Amino acid sequence: MAANVQNTPGRTDWAEDDEPDLATALPPPQITKNKDGTETVVTVFINEEGKRVKRTQRIRRTVVKKKENPRVAERRAWPKMGPEAGKPVGPRPDTTTLGENIIFRPQMGFKSGQVQEKAPDEERKAELQKKMQIKCRICQGDHFTTKCPFKDTMAPEGEAAGAPSDLDDRMGGDTGGAGGGGGGVGGSYVPPHLRKGAAGSGERMGGGKFERDDLATLRVTNVSEFAEEQDLREIFERWGRVTRVFLAKDRETGRAKGFAFVSYADRSDAARACEKVDGYGFGHLILKVEFAKKAT
Amino acid sequence: MRPILLSGHERALTQVKFSKEGDFIFSVSKDHNVCAWYSANGERFGMYKGHQGALWSVDVDPTTTFLATGGADNTMRLWEVKTGKQLKQWEFPTSIRRVEFSEDGKLLLGVTEKRTGQLSNIYVYDIAQDVNAEQSDEPTLRIVVDELPRVTVAGFSYLNRYIITGHENGCVAQWDAKTGEMIADEYPHEDGASVTDLQWSADRTYFITSSKDKTAKLQDARTLKVLHTYVADTPLNSAAITPEPTNYVILGGGQAAMDVTTTSARQGKFEARFYHKIFEEEVGRVRGHFGPLNYVAVSPDGKCYCSGGEDGYVRVHHFDPPYFDFKYEVEREMQGHMNRRMEQEL
Repeated sequence: MAANVQNTPGRTDWAEDDEPDLATALPPPQITKNKDGTETVVTVFINEEGKRVKRTQRIRRTVVKKKENPRVAERRAWPKMGPEAGKPVGPRPDTTTLGENIIFRPQMGFKSGQVQEKAPDEERKAELQKKMQIKCRICQGDHFTTKCPFKDTMAPEGEAAGAPSDLDDRMGGDTGGAGGGGGGVGGSYVPPHLRKGAAGSGERMGGGKFERDDLATLRVTNVSEFAEEQDLREIFERWGRVTRVFLAKDRETGRAKGFAFVSYADRSDAARACEKVDGYGFGHLILKVEFAKKAT
Repeated sequence: MRPILLSGHERALTQVKFSKEGDFIFSVSKDHNVCAWYSANGERFGMYKGHQGALWSVDVDPTTTFLATGGADNTMRLWEVKTGKQLKQWEFPTSIRRVEFSEDGKLLLGVTEKRTGQLSNIYVYDIAQDVNAEQSDEPTLRIVVDELPRVTVAGFSYLNRYIITGHENGCVAQWDAKTGEMIADEYPHEDGASVTDLQWSADRTYFITSSKDKTAKLQDARTLKVLHTYVADTPLNSAAITPEPTNYVILGGGQAAMDVTTTSARQGKFEARFYHKIFEEEVGRVRGHFGPLNYVAVSPDGKCYCSGGEDGYVRVHHFDPPYFDFKYEVEREMQGHMNRRMEQEL
């Protein structure tokens, strides 16, 4: 170190020695080859704010061969001239800009004013709507359960087995065994909460509302208490359209309680997200993601 | 497709041209400047400065060595494409409306405007095929157009056999390119509707003319017979023929700038219209300009086209696959038929 000081006479304070060197000394980029033909490049550099940043990139190199007319290739190498002389290769933003995308497909019998372009969003929505299957839980028809014409007379599927006996017990044989299903059809008045379709509905008040999208809902636990819904949305939106993010919060402190529910429009997106985000480090904790269990 | 917008001009574009390989675009505008662009990415290669007036016309020779321009400063100029150097300047009593190279690039044609005391003239110059050579001052041919009204557009046919001119009154005339004699004249467009553009097919055996009478006509270069008519709903400023294997014509136009009051972009009809070349049916439109399209040009390789508008922008469009795949049922049948025959012969 003594030699170092002597070599740089401009320095007066020995305490300054070596330190800046340590800070600026950056390791050379490390390149490792992966089995699948990609390369991982780890670079350490200092960003605009003066902070050391480590960047890990995975790169796949592909060779694209293109044939070009030699005359065109020659002209491409011409130095620019006029006001463009000396400017770097590539389009300049002051003269060249990209316009918005135009969908142009020739069609027979084209008529002007006809809507040829549809916003991609709308197309996606229409597609989603096509995909979304509405299925009645009572009669399996293609309508909502609440709109089912049999909703007062039949129990939802799956509960059908338990309900009749239950009902019979409660009714105490008030109506005949045969007329057990006929809440509104015949016999004496049966209050709505005792009718078959409504069996046990009181207990499910809270859960019933979300039951329909249970299939595509993820339960996220081990969430940092400083997390916000927006953070979670950002994480999960990568895998598909998120319809709902619910982050349980403490009423008094306003901090997260540590679990959340995320609903997707599409179950396959949810499955993918579940697989990918489970074990993802967020804040100082590792997220645990699983499919939400049916609310009971 | 995402159009590339080239904004190198401050005033309305008057003409845009592709080089023969389609890699360069040259544009001229009323702001006295000539710009050269790479068509692939819209990068500006440079500018050719020197003109003192609005420019009306530009053309590039088939080797992309020479560039010819003409405009309202009564000069026609020859430039070296690579360096931007002015090689030659010809002066005329009136402004130059149109310049065009012949198919082989050895002849250059200039059309002067008719003005008080001056008739429209067509000048043809020999171009020495060397950048350093001295270009001749004297035209090899001069045609004085006295019987017909003002010439608006002109060009050389196949093998430099004819010069075809379009006139202010909708007339299209054919001249012998060697002697300068008028051979025939036809009136394909409505009387009084100016011929606004004339562009050639790839082999220059037929051409398309556009007119203010809202139609474009495909005509044979030898007989001047009208082969096809394309009817639009707006005055046309330009028409282009796409090269094989696609069969389209592109028309550009729109309400003239002076007639536009408070119309929206849609009502102004500032769209490029695509018609099928054979069936004369409109197959689609491309919108984007804020003003009438003054010129449309197709790359000789058929992969992109560009349009220059009154709004001062050049928009370059690289076609998407649907453009190349589109075929009428009969075309498909014919293709299948040909394929079967080929197989049988093999």
